Amino acid sequence: MTFRFVARQILREFRGAGSRLLYFTLCLTLGVGAVVLVAGLSLALDQSIRREARSLLAADLAVLGSRPTPPEVVAAAEQLPGSRTSRVVETVTIVAAGGGAEPAERPPRTLLVELKIVDGPYPFYGALRLEPDARLDDLLGSDGVVVAPDLLPRLGTQVGDTLRLGGEPFTIRGVVLEEPDRIGAALTLGPRVFASRAGLARTPLQGFGSRIDTKLLIALPEGTTPAQLRGAKAELEAYLPPEERFRVETYDQAQPAIRRGLDRLERYLGLVALLSLLVGGIGVGQAVRSWVSSRLDAIAVLKCLGVRPREALALYFGQALLLGLIGSLAGAVLGTALLYLTPALLADLIPSPTLVGTGRFQVWQPAAIVRGLLLGVGVTAIFGLLPLSRVLQVPPSRVLRRDAEPLAGSRTLVAGCGVLLILGIGALAAAQSGSPRLAAQFTGGLLATTIALATAAWGLTRIAQRVPRGTGRLWLRHGLASLGRPGAATVGAIVAVGLGLLVVFATRQVQTQLLEQMAEELPKDAPSMFLVDVQTDQWDPLASLLKEQGASDTRSVPVVMARLRAIDGVKVAELVETSARRSRRWALTREQRLTYMQTLPEDNRIVEGALWADPSPYEISLEEEFAREDLGVGVGAMLEFDLQGIPIEFKVTSLRAVDWESFGINFFLVAEPGSLEEAPQFRLATTQIPKGMEQATQDIVVSRFPNITVVMLRDLLDRVISLLSLLGIAISLLGAFTLVAGFAILTATVGVESRRRGREVALMKTLGMKRNGIAALFATEYALMGLVAGIIGAAGGGVVSWIALTEGMELEWSFRPLEYLQAIAICTLLTVVAGVAASIGPMRRRPVEVLRELESA
Amino acid sequence: MSTLRLEARELTKVLSSGGKPLTILDRVSLAVAAREFVAILGPSGSGKSTLLALLAGLDRPTSGSVHIDGREIQDLSEDELAILRRDHVGFVFQAFQLLNHLTALENVRLPLELRQEPSAGKQAAVLLSQVGLAERGHHYPSQLSGGEQQRVAVARAFATRPSLLLADEPTGNLDSKTGTFVLSMMSELQRQHGTTLILVTHDPAAASLADRSIYLLDGRVDREEIRRATAAESTR
Repeated sequence: MTFRFVARQILREFRGAGSRLLYFTLCLTLGVGAVVLVAGLSLALDQSIRREARSLLAADLAVLGSRPTPPEVVAAAEQLPGSRTSRVVETVTIVAAGGGAEPAERPPRTLLVELKIVDGPYPFYGALRLEPDARLDDLLGSDGVVVAPDLLPRLGTQVGDTLRLGGEPFTIRGVVLEEPDRIGAALTLGPRVFASRAGLARTPLQGFGSRIDTKLLIALPEGTTPAQLRGAKAELEAYLPPEERFRVETYDQAQPAIRRGLDRLERYLGLVALLSLLVGGIGVGQAVRSWVSSRLDAIAVLKCLGVRPREALALYFGQALLLGLIGSLAGAVLGTALLYLTPALLADLIPSPTLVGTGRFQVWQPAAIVRGLLLGVGVTAIFGLLPLSRVLQVPPSRVLRRDAEPLAGSRTLVAGCGVLLILGIGALAAAQSGSPRLAAQFTGGLLATTIALATAAWGLTRIAQRVPRGTGRLWLRHGLASLGRPGAATVGAIVAVGLGLLVVFATRQVQTQLLEQMAEELPKDAPSMFLVDVQTDQWDPLASLLKEQGASDTRSVPVVMARLRAIDGVKVAELVETSARRSRRWALTREQRLTYMQTLPEDNRIVEGALWADPSPYEISLEEEFAREDLGVGVGAMLEFDLQGIPIEFKVTSLRAVDWESFGINFFLVAEPGSLEEAPQFRLATTQIPKGMEQATQDIVVSRFPNITVVMLRDLLDRVISLLSLLGIAISLLGAFTLVAGFAILTATVGVESRRRGREVALMKTLGMKRNGIAALFATEYALMGLVAGIIGAAGGGVVSWIALTEGMELEWSFRPLEYLQAIAICTLLTVVAGVAASIGPMRRRPVEVLRELESA
Repeated sequence: MSTLRLEARELTKVLSSGGKPLTILDRVSLAVAAREFVAILGPSGSGKSTLLALLAGLDRPTSGSVHIDGREIQDLSEDELAILRRDHVGFVFQAFQLLNHLTALENVRLPLELRQEPSAGKQAAVLLSQVGLAERGHHYPSQLSGGEQQRVAVARAFATRPSLLLADEPTGNLDSKTGTFVLSMMSELQRQHGTTLILVTHDPAAASLADRSIYLLDGRVDREEIRRATAAESTR
């Protein structure tokens, strides 16, 4: 038999395939759509990042750090042949709207912003779009700023107005529409403000404690080869002080950190998408089963005509794959359509026009589409094989006797199909996640969940069979009987819907509980405001100002910055060389924040040693994890610090446990009073401001003490929560795909069973039952089915959310019966709607048509 | 075209019915010569259709053997049996057994395509016109009357010029006039092509066209009637 023959038969078989194609499409569209959407989004962003890599770095290479770039590195960069350099400093600070120098009746409005100072040409690559369209330097001068558009309404200002930065007046000269190297704006603390270095010099900012990020941007001459680029990178790295936290990034690395993050996100979202496709696979399996059942006679005839069993299998398998491919194409169209809409949806998350701007975000992603099609066809293959294997067993003698015994089917065949199904799911998961370990966990978890769901569904149908049917309403009795009827279809549909509900419900539970805990976890006495960079002499007037504003529970601690020099006499440089862990190296070399105090705050507890009990040396108390894991020391160790050039030695006399969730000010390192009072220092303060007074307090503090940066905890938390919500929405949406796929399968199952349904309806009508009665009867059956799926899905979702919250995130999990009841009710209702809707066809037919059909069959 | 000799030895088929063994065929032996037309008669449940299924290799006997041209077929694999049927055997059934999603012409073409015959379409069209359905080639089975469907089935059965044709109650679902027409057509084609024809029927009128009639009763050969000696008979 030739390939041409099989191909021709497949096309001929296609003729009666209208409704079958619809079921396949129903089952596969959503899953494939989800796969294409996730893969396409990830690819499109990755492409944007790679294509715009130079713009996103604004340079060929850059030295990034959290301290001023060392002069020898700058010199080395300037000596690279043909190089141009530019220095960028970013910091978070507070700006205030206009007003005169003298305090007005009401202090001007203030806002936390991300300040960027550019020293030199910027950007080397990509577009800095300003309005008015001019060079940044020209706009800034020494007394101008350029701001993000959203700053203006928030401060009630417009271009031309005055903005105070560190108390000094600046004129708003324009707005910045596009900044090439600003990517993840969802994680920023405030809108952008550009100022010049000369301008910054007029302000008291860049004070001792300010947190800054620095970038040395370097452009190399055109035609620089990648090898030369790497050479330049190596040359600069040689100048970097080993103990500092600097890194050199080249444009061709294309934002490795962001792409890693994207990768990770894609893995998980990819698996969620795969899940809805797999749920679709259950439906495909059922559609194939019912299709093969209706083709047994034709298969027997083909075998009589001399088609070999495996040729018959190939024919039907090919047909299934073709249907799968077409169904998947519909999914690819859906996924691409959704991808088209995403840049608008992502505007809040990724407001970078460089990445998602028109013409930059590629909606057409052939690789994602191919992936979706392959996965869709793959799912068709692995879920269709087992029901299709029945083709092999159709006895040709069936043409003579309907009840002819099926050919001996080998158990190995069935077992083989089962193994293939599991391996296939594993392979698909591996393809989606790119990680064999994750794929194995996913497959194992899914298998366990499915077995649990199927067992529960089976058990419940058994119970339905056992319920005494002697009493009760007809529709209830019949509904129970239908549920308990032998056949895999009920269990399959329950598993599909249950699995979908499980994903959605688990996601919803995790999301709401996580967000609520984040909001609630703020203890009542948690500070609402942090004040950074308070100078020692500012503390008293600030404290009384806060008191006037109704602040309570105001605390402040001194902060001294120092560097670790040696542990037990061994130089840190030597320790760094012998430690393999990056986090440890960093802990050893970073700038440490120390404080000193007589008594510890309430959220600290001594777990080892005693506080300030040793009379002779200076004592220090360490947070226990920091001591053990990062420094690798215990009580009795000697730590030598470098305090702006002056050495000072401490003995570790106690270890503390800290409750970090209290949001109080806490330190890894607390020194004995008397040791650090004379060192250069600033103060950190926390306070609780009455609700609704936060902005006014911030305004008045900034107007009096322009160098102080105020961070409102509520704002920060709101940002984190909104980011998490977005992520939660994404997962919920993909999860909803799974649920909808579950209902699609239910409808499809009902649809493919419409023949049997039709016979039932015909018989009932013949026996004198009215259409309403039949509808009530079906509704009962589906309500019971939805109830079972709902109970199992909600319970499973509860378990998954419990594991995710307690094991994954170490948070608390709470049982909320009402939400479970809601989920079960909604699931039941939707199942009834889907089931009854799909039964309308058979219900409408006249009994005589159906009975006549049966007779001739 | 080859001619073919068919022989069954001690064919027995036992099925289990409700847990108890039920003997459908009990040590049936028969020999059919090449180009012979044999009718198998008997009441319902006498084992006619089972015998036919065993002779065609559609089913396997519990014991006994079937020899086609001296080759034992009961131990062949499903694949080998399929190829044997493809190359040598044609079928006509009581329930027509046309493929519903194929047109009349395509139904007739199918066995030719299976054998990769180059001019399958042309041959099929000729056969259809031989059974008087030249105009109905593009109709689907559901658009044809019972008699027309059976004529398509006959055309399909003869398409590959099989050396053995097995017919199971081909007139069972037809009115007597149509039935007679179909039967005479079959016997005409059988003579033309030199096919060995085994016809299962309980219609004595149909059997009267055969060279020989074998009567089954309760799974055994009850009696045999030889109507005329065929060319094949003389070669015995």
